[in-house]
Amino acid sequence: MIKSLFNLLVFPGFLFLVMSGLTFEWLDRKFLARFQRRVGPPWYQPLADLIKLFSKEDLLPKNANDFLAALLPLVSLASVLTAGLYVPIAGYKAFSFEGDLIVIIFLMSVPTLAYYLAGIISLGIYSVLGGGRSLLQFFSYEVPLLIALSGPAILGGSWSVSTIMEAQVNLGPFILFQPLGFILAVIGLIGKLKRDPFDIPKAKSEVVGGSLTEFSGPTLGFWNLVMDIQAVIGIFLLIDLYFGWTKMSHPSLAIIIFIIECLILVLILSGTSAIFARLRIDQLAGLGWRILVPLALLQLGLIILMGN
Amino acid sequence: MDKISIPIGPQHPLLKEPLSMMVDIAGEKVLGGSLRLGYVHRGIERLAQQRTYVQNVHLIERICGICSHVHTTAYCYAVEALLGIEIPPRAQYIRALMCELERIHSHLLWLGILAKHIGLETIFMHTWHDREMALDIMEEISGGRVSHAANQIGGVRFDLDEEHIDMIRGILKKLHSQVDGLVDIIETEPAAMARTKGVAPISPDMIKAYGVVGPVARASGVDIDLRRDAPLPPYDQLEVKVVTHPGGDAWARTFVRAEETRVSLNLCEKILEDLPEGDVSLRTPRRVPEGEVIIRAEAPRGELFYYLRSDGSDKPARLKVRTPTLATLSLLPVQLAEINVADIPVVLAGVDLCIACADR
Repeated sequence: MIKSLFNLLVFPGFLFLVMSGLTFEWLDRKFLARFQRRVGPPWYQPLADLIKLFSKEDLLPKNANDFLAALLPLVSLASVLTAGLYVPIAGYKAFSFEGDLIVIIFLMSVPTLAYYLAGIISLGIYSVLGGGRSLLQFFSYEVPLLIALSGPAILGGSWSVSTIMEAQVNLGPFILFQPLGFILAVIGLIGKLKRDPFDIPKAKSEVVGGSLTEFSGPTLGFWNLVMDIQAVIGIFLLIDLYFGWTKMSHPSLAIIIFIIECLILVLILSGTSAIFARLRIDQLAGLGWRILVPLALLQLGLIILMGN
Repeated sequence: MDKISIPIGPQHPLLKEPLSMMVDIAGEKVLGGSLRLGYVHRGIERLAQQRTYVQNVHLIERICGICSHVHTTAYCYAVEALLGIEIPPRAQYIRALMCELERIHSHLLWLGILAKHIGLETIFMHTWHDREMALDIMEEISGGRVSHAANQIGGVRFDLDEEHIDMIRGILKKLHSQVDGLVDIIETEPAAMARTKGVAPISPDMIKAYGVVGPVARASGVDIDLRRDAPLPPYDQLEVKVVTHPGGDAWARTFVRAEETRVSLNLCEKILEDLPEGDVSLRTPRRVPEGEVIIRAEAPRGELFYYLRSDGSDKPARLKVRTPTLATLSLLPVQLAEINVADIPVVLAGVDLCIACADR
């Protein structure tokens, strides 16, 4: 009972995920700033932003649905936090069952749908446009991401993240067998997180703030938190699925290696957002269905051949 | 899909200066748009009639925050033409040097804004960092980073010594290598090309019908540049390479401006090399003889037109300014039709508007 509570609230639950989400945001902003010849924010900036937002007033347009607007970020937060419980961190797994990978992927999609709804209910022109774009984007990146993530599952012979990690102890890290799948998964993750170059739903110069244009105060704070935690869980999941050999090392060594892997992935994410221009939505759909899906299918075919 | 109208402006992340646009869209397609102007109208032409010629130099400088020097240059040449004097050659060269530095920093500013609008914020940060070098030179020699107060009727306010010239040469060399790198990136980066190639092309016929000038016209293959076609001194003694591109789209405009920056850098070096000796200013009378004059100068955004009429007093009877942005603005609704919503920023940034100039 106490262990479950500890898992839910402290590690790897609420407190840990919030802290690592804020750390991710800081690292990302700092890396991006260094790429852009800027100094970047101090370490406490994301937390300070959050505290500031929580102390502010919540304002929405007159006829907007306040109840749903407040509920949606909470639902998203709950689903990403739940997803976080099933993702092993540095080899430590809190909860696990056969098929938890599918549950994680499903729970990670909830914020995207909530984001779309938030745009529709907040009744701003830019929000509606941004919401529509986020849904279009969802259909472009989600399919290649799913096909890519099923690669480790097939190779590991299980749909449970921890079993896939155990399989890598014997076989070696799966990135060696499917580098293409890893790249596709990173691209899918960037799309999921709506990061540059796939920040189409919230492109400042086109749709102002996207779905969240009208939001302010605690609601916006929760949304920012959801995005950060989503990013962190995405990074943890990719490391577990593709670099899962931390388990065989000494526990403290495993933690250090895990942190280094996280930093490398954050660097990849920040680097891509620094060097690429934003795509148009039709270009993204073309990229997703004409290039990424065939490549993902090719990778999947290779894995199945390899399994035999 | 239903037609909806989205407002762009007067306040919008896309705009640096206030301009109001209603854009009709259906889904991700733009059907058309309409413009509303005048948010930064300050009545400068009328104000100029109430001030003396000398005071007006400083008023005119406030028309624009980017191309302030070329405005005062055109104004001063107009007053000097009415007075019937020719300023010393050294002053002409210093004026031209400031004009070219201004073109460099204006084009770099524009390059950064375009990059930012297509999501390349890294390029934005780097171009604006490099642009500071041009501003540093201007601050060092004139004392002002943006409003230089370099011109006065009868010449310029400052002289360059050897130390200045060495400093400028050093910075220009550094800037040249930085600009080369940036131009290389913006002209070859695939995502940037995908966003700008083929976006809202303008044909040379449209350019002529709407009277569009400057880099936008040159990017549609219209070979005009006042520095070569109707040069103010000292451009008649300098050889100006005019960059044109037949494309007419946003990418062609990027190419033309990027190359023009390099041409201007070379021109700056040439000006420093040829810099004549002598005074930098003349004493001029306060009253200006009766008459009228038209002066045209090549601003960073194209042809700048000054009409000045004097009634013999110490105040202008009429000052009329026509800025290049006005023609570009009239072409904007045409360009907005039949494009993607995501291309609105590319079109708006691509034509390089200066609303403060246009509204005055």
